[in-house]
Amino acid sequence: MIAARNLRMEFPGALALDGVSVAFAPGEVHGLIGENGAGKSTLLNILSGVLAPTGGTVEVDGQPLTFRSVREAESKGIAMIHQELNLVDTLTAAENISLGIEPRKGPFLDRVAVRERAQKALDSVGSDISPSDVVGDLPLAQRQLLEIAKAGARGARLVIMDEPTAVLTERETANLKTLIRKLKEQGIAIAYVSHRLDEVRELCDRVTVLRDGKLVGEFQNLTEDQMAEHMVGRPVSDLFPAKIAPDSEVRFSFKDLLEPTLKAPVNLEIRKGEIVGLGGLVGSGRTEVGEAIAGLRPCNCPKPQKVAYVSEDRKAIGLHLSLPIDENVILPTLRNLVTPRRTRDTAQAWKEPLNIKAGDLGAAVQTLSGGNQQKVALAKWLETQPELLILDEPTRGVDIGAKAEIYKIIVDLAQQGKSILLISSEMPELIGLCHRVLVMRERRVVGELEGDQITESALIRLAAGVRP
Amino acid sequence: MKKIVREYGVLIAFALLFLVNGVRHADVVLTPEFIRNLFNQNATIGLMAVGMTFVILTAGIDLSVGSLMAFSAAAGVTLLNKQTGPETQSIALAVLATLGTGTLAGLANGLVIAYGRVIPFVTTLIGLLAFRSLAMELGDGGEIRVQSTQAFQRIGQEGIPIGNLVITWPILFWIAISLLGSFLLNRTVWGRHVIAVGANEKAARYSGVNVNKVKVAAYAFAGLCVGVAGLSQAARLNSVSSGQMGLYGELDAIAAVVLGGTSLQGGAGRLWGTFVGVLLLGLINNMMVVEGISPELRGAVKGLIILAAVLLQRGKTP
Repeated sequence: MIAARNLRMEFPGALALDGVSVAFAPGEVHGLIGENGAGKSTLLNILSGVLAPTGGTVEVDGQPLTFRSVREAESKGIAMIHQELNLVDTLTAAENISLGIEPRKGPFLDRVAVRERAQKALDSVGSDISPSDVVGDLPLAQRQLLEIAKAGARGARLVIMDEPTAVLTERETANLKTLIRKLKEQGIAIAYVSHRLDEVRELCDRVTVLRDGKLVGEFQNLTEDQMAEHMVGRPVSDLFPAKIAPDSEVRFSFKDLLEPTLKAPVNLEIRKGEIVGLGGLVGSGRTEVGEAIAGLRPCNCPKPQKVAYVSEDRKAIGLHLSLPIDENVILPTLRNLVTPRRTRDTAQAWKEPLNIKAGDLGAAVQTLSGGNQQKVALAKWLETQPELLILDEPTRGVDIGAKAEIYKIIVDLAQQGKSILLISSEMPELIGLCHRVLVMRERRVVGELEGDQITESALIRLAAGVRP
Repeated sequence: MKKIVREYGVLIAFALLFLVNGVRHADVVLTPEFIRNLFNQNATIGLMAVGMTFVILTAGIDLSVGSLMAFSAAAGVTLLNKQTGPETQSIALAVLATLGTGTLAGLANGLVIAYGRVIPFVTTLIGLLAFRSLAMELGDGGEIRVQSTQAFQRIGQEGIPIGNLVITWPILFWIAISLLGSFLLNRTVWGRHVIAVGANEKAARYSGVNVNKVKVAAYAFAGLCVGVAGLSQAARLNSVSSGQMGLYGELDAIAAVVLGGTSLQGGAGRLWGTFVGVLLLGLINNMMVVEGISPELRGAVKGLIILAAVLLQRGKTP
């Protein structure tokens, strides 16, 4: 049994964890949920040896331990599957599995053993990739399997999964769920962290909720609404504001839009004040359509005017994480002489309307929570005064409280007459916000739903290509 | 405390070293002449370091500056020696040729890096070889003396007198280019784009920044700075030693930028840091002379001091 006892973590100026205890039983999936900033990451980092707690201990089989490194935690059977997978892209699958624990024959690397170990580990997770495949060539879902195989090969007893499905398609998610059940049968404990509460309900035997660094409690058989309530600390009465009918005037019209990776031309009209959804599985071509309209990809569409694209990938594309908040906001609208005063004022003007929670606008964006980072990205593009705002997964990695705020912002913007193209993998979002939804599958638009037609089953049917 | 050391480390190091030096050799160090000479001797490295700061801020590097300094100066002086017209006109042409050669060569570096997609290290390594070779070709492998005029050297040796001290033009160029650079970096769109490109090139592109133009301009500006350095040095010595001028100058310039607190990964840095970094390097050199450290050993001592300064400033490892 691996357990955290009364963990406490103080950072300069902040108490990230305050007396948190969790026990992970073998063969059990234990959900860890909480809003961003609730202390989940800190807890995971302590368990996996990245951080040393300022109080409390991690116990393995009743023995209190302090991990000084990830390697030490690993040697005690705790492995973490990171959101940003920790694999070396230029090495093969087999080399990654044995990295740092290479079997030797005398002073030499035992290549046969490396390969055999890898094959065994890959088989155990049901992966059909070859040990000699180079990691960089593998799709994301395969890499994740590989990382789990790697944990298995190192004798992990507790596997920590941090948002494992955030980057997976529905089918890959289903595969992962099967694998998790298999790991359970092998008596491995799993700590499962996810923003997707439906998954948590489905997979987890018990759920621990954190809020503001404190333990809210450990529960079983919670509904998603109950989970959300525990996380936020108040009832989430209504996540989505009421829809407001759009103007009849068509503001943006794209006829036979073609982008090199699409398999069929796309036709798209967006009215003033309309929220049009672009649904479908990850990789179905949604982002490509959005980026093409914004002029970020080659396409036959008109030169974008008053179009802004807010990327799905805040960290790599959407924001400059190491730069100050205000410099991020002003970047697309820099003109003439740059003064610190104007930079600050521009960002300041968005702070209240978007409710950006930041002490100092000169602080680096990376110090903010996911939800606030997303608001900074919104501010950055709203400052360009767009008429068409393309939002690509605007609530990815954002906690429930901030999600509700972002939904309200989107509806408010539409009400002010902006046209919005909402790219999303979250069906409730498409259903709750959009007037119309175009669904993509395999790089073409396969259907359009309007008003009451937008239901979960209709969306799934179109996205997966199942006939009714 | 740690934050202060990281932020102002270079200034603290300079002040400490100056103080130690001043206490030990008050008669030499605490004189206006010593300070003027410190500036004068380091103006050319200082000029190159300003451009280098921009290049490094874009997450690039320019290894060609030392060679380019010799090439631009050789081009200018060669042209000067061929002139027969009025003196002012000849000198103006030579100045233009020096600055132009520097800027155009920098522009070429930038074009190859941005549009040719060759990494900066390789591109400017080629420049390091090629520009030196061109300079030596112009000078037949040796020295090019200014023969046609006596007035050219005034650019390097004269200046504005303050009391009985002359603040030479190279010092003024260095200060002016540093101020100009600071203005460009902090107050113009290009300057902010330099930071954005260095901090995250992809995010910059998605924000509508023309990444290629920003990079080309950075290398061209670096070339211009090198041209001014070449002009200053050629005029100061009234000659260009094609094989020696600016030799290893790129290393001193890079060291000064890093000492000044600009990140070699790009996206974070400051020009005042570079300015003090150059002075710190110069002070270390002077100090080794007055302390009587053997010339052979000076490289090692300098290396150790740079290492100590960089260790003090480094951030937390991620």
